Amino acid sequence: MEEYNPGDEVAFNADEVNISIKECVEGVIGGTDYNQNKVNQWTASIVEHSLTHLVKQGRPFKYIVNCAIMQKSGAGLHTANSCYWDTTTDGSCTARWENRTMYCVVSVFAVAVTL
Amino acid sequence: MTTMEEYHSGSESSFHSEEADNIVKECIEGVVGNDDYSQSLVNKWTAGIVERCLTQLVKQGKPYKYIVTCAVMQKTGAGLHTANSCYWDTTMDGSSTVRWENRTMYCVVSVFAVAIA
Repeated sequence: MEEYNPGDEVAFNADEVNISIKECVEGVIGGTDYNQNKVNQWTASIVEHSLTHLVKQGRPFKYIVNCAIMQKSGAGLHTANSCYWDTTTDGSCTARWENRTMYCVVSVFAVAVTL
Repeated sequence: MTTMEEYHSGSESSFHSEEADNIVKECIEGVVGNDDYSQSLVNKWTAGIVERCLTQLVKQGKPYKYIVTCAVMQKTGAGLHTANSCYWDTTMDGSSTVRWENRTMYCVVSVFAVAIA
């Protein structure tokens, strides 16, 4: 059986994930204006693409991807996360993106799978 | 000689979303109850809600890691849409989302429970 050696390969790399999430978001809604009819498709697409990308990396993690899109209208939106897990192996990363008409906040939580 | 307790598979080790829903609703009510949206207090509220929910969930003593997220939004007619996608063990892990509102704000809390092997 292959053994995973502890080190960079197994720890959650938040910077890498942040970059790939922003690419996913750009790919789905970059250059579009907020559209009530399409926003459900967009949120679903963003979480799907992000998740697929993460799983492709083949690391021993379970993932939770959360995406919120909000129209820019002056309203206040605040979010918070709290996690009860193994701080040495698990990790999270939140990416904030915006354009002229909307905000998009994507959070990724990665929980290590013990082998 | 083994000194660790073994968790037997069955309803005890699958996630009970109704129980989590109730815990979350009580926590939200306890923190924001009848308050009106307040820009200066909202950071405290979101932090208070996730902390309280997490503490109550962990108190149940089940073999899970938890992630709790909370979003509070002022009611102004703006659109807010959220989606989650999870890559995990569907037999043991689970999630639950509670939507709450009062006259001046919406509050959406999601709990994700990942079983510890």
